[in-house]
Amino acid sequence: MIETYRFLAPDFQKEEPKELALLSIIAQSFFQPFTTEDNLLVILTALTCGSGIGFNRALLFRTDGDCLRGELWLGPESAEEARLIWEVLSTPGIGYVEIIDHNRSLLKRGGGSLSERARGLSYFLSAEIPLLPALSAIKREVTHVREAGQEPLVDPGFLEILGVEEFVCVPLFARDEVLGVIVVDNAITRKPISAKDIQLASLCGLIAGNYIYASTLNKKMLDLERMAALGEMTVFMTHQLRNPVTAIGGFTDQLLHSPPDESRTRRNLEIIRREIRRLENVLYKLAHFLQADMRRPQPFDLAAVLSGVLEAPDLRVRSESYELSLAIDEGLPPVLGDAVSVGEAVRNLLDNAFDATPAGGRIEVRGRRDKGAGVVLEVRDSGAGLTSEVRSNLFKPFFSTKNRGLGLGLLYVKRVLEACGGWVEAESSEPGAGTLFRLHFRSAPEGRIEG
Amino acid sequence: MKKLLIVEDEDALALLYKEELERDGYAVTSAGDAEKALTLLREEAFDLVVTDIRMPGRDGVELITQIMALRRDIPIIINTAFQSYKDDFMTWAADAYVVKSSSLDELKAKIHEILIR
Repeated sequence: MIETYRFLAPDFQKEEPKELALLSIIAQSFFQPFTTEDNLLVILTALTCGSGIGFNRALLFRTDGDCLRGELWLGPESAEEARLIWEVLSTPGIGYVEIIDHNRSLLKRGGGSLSERARGLSYFLSAEIPLLPALSAIKREVTHVREAGQEPLVDPGFLEILGVEEFVCVPLFARDEVLGVIVVDNAITRKPISAKDIQLASLCGLIAGNYIYASTLNKKMLDLERMAALGEMTVFMTHQLRNPVTAIGGFTDQLLHSPPDESRTRRNLEIIRREIRRLENVLYKLAHFLQADMRRPQPFDLAAVLSGVLEAPDLRVRSESYELSLAIDEGLPPVLGDAVSVGEAVRNLLDNAFDATPAGGRIEVRGRRDKGAGVVLEVRDSGAGLTSEVRSNLFKPFFSTKNRGLGLGLLYVKRVLEACGGWVEAESSEPGAGTLFRLHFRSAPEGRIEG
Repeated sequence: MKKLLIVEDEDALALLYKEELERDGYAVTSAGDAEKALTLLREEAFDLVVTDIRMPGRDGVELITQIMALRRDIPIIINTAFQSYKDDFMTWAADAYVVKSSSLDELKAKIHEILIR
């Protein structure tokens, strides 16, 4: 017998043990496309909501260089507010998404809210005599404080803001890094903190620490990737711009410094004009790429877009030196996408096919039903095919095999296809056998074609 | 008259360098790619080669390697749009590295400097 379950229970039941509820809340949130702040908020929620551990309040500090800085503070301000919040949170059937929403709105509230006060707090980690809460981070010890007023190791300013005699500091760390501290208390109910609650809070601390560590690493990696892409773009643009600029400057200098000669003047001006057009073309392509319209996909007729593309005068002139064939199956369903962008994408593919194929060669465009519900558009050239290096860089920005290529054409095709739920693939089985690009479109649900 | 070989795939730039350097009294031949440059180098004795780096087909770094195998004594100037190739140690084999600019002064100065050595 086989039984299947949803991966995680969508809401948590009252009778579930605390540990399970806690893990359930945290694990579910990590499946959501939440921001780091939201996920940290989830951890604070797990610490404070009734079905989780059920502390009254949770205050999060994160390290910032040599400092422990308050960032989020979740919990009610008063017994009255606590009643309201806990009423909301104990509504039967309420899920973690609702709880996150609720907590988010709680945090957004201005006017001396807890989180606003938290953001004013900061403690040096390298103070001569470190006091709590910094001490907990430095020693990496979960610290349970009672009768805080008589405890010299508690920062008096912190105690005043906290306003309770009993609290727990949970340090957040991963590997060698101290990442922060969470302080939990029962400021409203004044319920004593049990050993079990401390254990669970420590577990939350471990998860939060590793989560912060992982998301910092992730951010660092993204930054590196962005820097690398920026570097590639700079190198590429340098080449694209420096050559025309050198020619324009050089031929202008000739005009300025040499005695005027009508035919030479005319020739130089023509070269200058041509190089300026080239610069404009670079600008046009860049702007076009950046402004690519990726609106909500609409159903459109692929055959109509194709014939529009093929009728462009410059393309017709160009195709005269090739054997260009077009075969679109009858009765293809409308596909989803932005017709104008798809037209541009196909145009890019055709330009590539012309560039890759020696004059007189064959270029085939074919539209047919895909396996399943979609539609495939194929553009096949009979050029030299792709080397493995070109193949692995095909959709990388600023990668081009053409001397004057910007390296954005195929990336544009990819973006357009992905924006409408489709994808693009390239096939080049052996050197010399040409290249085949397949654009896979989703077909539109039966209905009328707009525009 | 000193003979220069200019390897440059951009037609407009090849023309510019040819005219400007001829005006300075050099005999200038230009080649649009590395293959053509190597053929010319086998046939004629040049006093100096100016080459771009990024070209279709064999690039300038490969060309330099080949030239060194062919004729060790010929001075080479790299003239390119990229600053970054300066860090490629293969380009250290060249006698000078000039970043393309709308003023040809630096290129002319380097050519002069190397040829009077």
